[in-house]
Amino acid sequence: MNFFKRAWLNVWAKKGRSVLLILVSSAILMFVLAGLLIQSAAVKATSQAKADVGATVTLSANRQAAFKKMQSRTTSSKSSKMTLTPVKLSDAAKVAQLSNISGYNVTSSTSVNASSYDTVSMSTGMGSSTGGGPGGMKSSTSTGDTQIDGVTATSLTTAFSNKQSKITKGRGITAADKNTNNVVIEKDLASQNNLTVGDTLTVKEATGDKDKVKLKVVGIYKASSTSSSAASPMSTDPANTMYTSYTLANTFKGSKYAGTADSVTFNVSNPAKVSSVKTAGKKLINTSKYSLSTDDASYQTVKASMDNVEGFANKIVWLVAIAGTIILALIVILMIRERRFEIGVLLSLGEARWKVIAQFFTEMLMVIVVAVAIAGVGGKFVGNQLGSQLVSQSATTTQTTSSSTGQPGGGEPSGNGGSGMRGGNGGPGNTSQTTKQATDTKLEVTVSAVNLAELGGFGLAITFLSIMIASGGILRLEPKKVLIS
Amino acid sequence: MLKTEGLGYWYQDKDQPLFQGIDLEFDVGQSYAILGHSGSGKTTFLSLIAGLDKPKEGDIKLNDRSLKQIGLTNFRRHDVSIVFQAYNLFTYMSPLNNLLTAMAITDAAHAGDKAYARQVLNDLGIGADLAERNVQHLSGGQQQRVAIARTMCCDAKLVVADEPTGNLDEDNTKEVIQQFQKIAHEQGKCVIIVTHEPDVANQCDHQFRLENKQFVELA
Repeated sequence: MNFFKRAWLNVWAKKGRSVLLILVSSAILMFVLAGLLIQSAAVKATSQAKADVGATVTLSANRQAAFKKMQSRTTSSKSSKMTLTPVKLSDAAKVAQLSNISGYNVTSSTSVNASSYDTVSMSTGMGSSTGGGPGGMKSSTSTGDTQIDGVTATSLTTAFSNKQSKITKGRGITAADKNTNNVVIEKDLASQNNLTVGDTLTVKEATGDKDKVKLKVVGIYKASSTSSSAASPMSTDPANTMYTSYTLANTFKGSKYAGTADSVTFNVSNPAKVSSVKTAGKKLINTSKYSLSTDDASYQTVKASMDNVEGFANKIVWLVAIAGTIILALIVILMIRERRFEIGVLLSLGEARWKVIAQFFTEMLMVIVVAVAIAGVGGKFVGNQLGSQLVSQSATTTQTTSSSTGQPGGGEPSGNGGSGMRGGNGGPGNTSQTTKQATDTKLEVTVSAVNLAELGGFGLAITFLSIMIASGGILRLEPKKVLIS
Repeated sequence: MLKTEGLGYWYQDKDQPLFQGIDLEFDVGQSYAILGHSGSGKTTFLSLIAGLDKPKEGDIKLNDRSLKQIGLTNFRRHDVSIVFQAYNLFTYMSPLNNLLTAMAITDAAHAGDKAYARQVLNDLGIGADLAERNVQHLSGGQQQRVAIARTMCCDAKLVVADEPTGNLDEDNTKEVIQQFQKIAHEQGKCVIIVTHEPDVANQCDHQFRLENKQFVELA
């Protein structure tokens, strides 16, 4: 017979008290586990967000340097024009070699005039030929009524990857469309002109020889209302935007634009590495002509949201652990006070004090083992409820914070939107998109063996601390006072 | 076997000791009764010779070794068994487990021997069915017999009892005292009983009365 057996006999004989202790301990551990689960789920969700949300680095003409150059010329001569250097695809290819670059999209925008079809007029009555918004290139300030967005692939553009636009018929532009006259047109434009996949339409170049060029419709896309409403007053109706290969857009712009682009957007496989990619990329380009800008707003929004959740979960774990220790210590102190006679008898028999403490620890350990099992079952439910509540709250907080700091709003080029003729259309749309992504980020709360081991560790620590706090009474107890006085 | 040398004890004021300069000797195979009126200090004396407290003055020696040398915990574990007026059994255990627990803690020769423990209980009138019940379901007399059985199972040569019959009726008192005599005479242990009942004291081999801070042996 040793203190293990005494502990077992006590736990078994006092079933009511043991059940109550199990319930209290289960409740404490359930919240500890919920915190641990949310914590690990938030870490998982953050790393998942890295893969899902993505981030980009955009190589484009250095407007700031060009503006300064223009200003210095203004002081020395009468006439001056801001000249932006198109991005050379050979330079882009160098940047694409950097690690963490998973792919890139070449964007070249211009405008043409409708020839065999009618453009969609804006309902605001601002006219249809307003092209050349801020951020456009020198050559693309021509005033065509149809916006041409030359890309490597439509799927790589922000509008399509964010699902603001989607292909409804046929297919999008792909890398295979390079050097072809294939085009993807907007649904409204198609229905207005009875155009469908396989049809051809004719456009007239807005610059140079103003030749007529036949284009083949390979796909029809639908632009979301968000895009339309986000369009600046100076832009053409989004329905008049056609997607082509960037090579075709360059052809419209003129022969000197061959092998160039307005901008090149690189997809960064690990959004956390955006800054290092930008730094490494700057070493490969002529920074007086080109600039590298980053766009990891989506990732940062999701990350901030998950960081909030993780931080809160961390606090839950520690607060519950500390509160649990205090509660259990108080219960154990009361329990020990009730059992002073028993302790006195043990001491009168010559039992070592540490063995008396060990008996109480073993009793609590038996209780905790059952409580861990109960918490393991209940903790997942509590974690799910608490986790989804936390995610929605923290997404709202993140949205409020980003709105008040004015982060989005169109100043930064976002994807291809900022560098083309419709510069700055992505602002408000992106805010709602990233917030939606943060809200959509679901915490997958699952109880793993590691979680249970962690919980067991916490349970053990809580038990140990509470017994240590309560055992002061045992160490001071004089058997004579209990048994004889 | 057990000797007290100049033993003295007081609570707060040294000038008002409960007893002082006590020189007594207790031998194995004998039973001793310590009498005295309430508050005379007989229970305090018992707590000193049972190793539950330290004397303020003088020394207690077991086989010429001071308790200070032996250590009170060691002394309680191996050399003394205590029987209390309130029985002081483990209330969440059966009589059998009470005995087994005490035997395990005191490293008794029969530690873990259930059959031996059952036999001792049986000899004291605690049959097999009672031996497995929770002690709280036993009468006062039965509980005190379990407490006595506990001392019999342990190997300590010194048995001290504090008013062991205080809560018992006449029949149970007789039976309990007989058991103490058996422990002294048949098991060869030294039994010291603190009591205020002259009838109980009369059945012991020696009687001491604590009066005027001194122990007086009665004829």
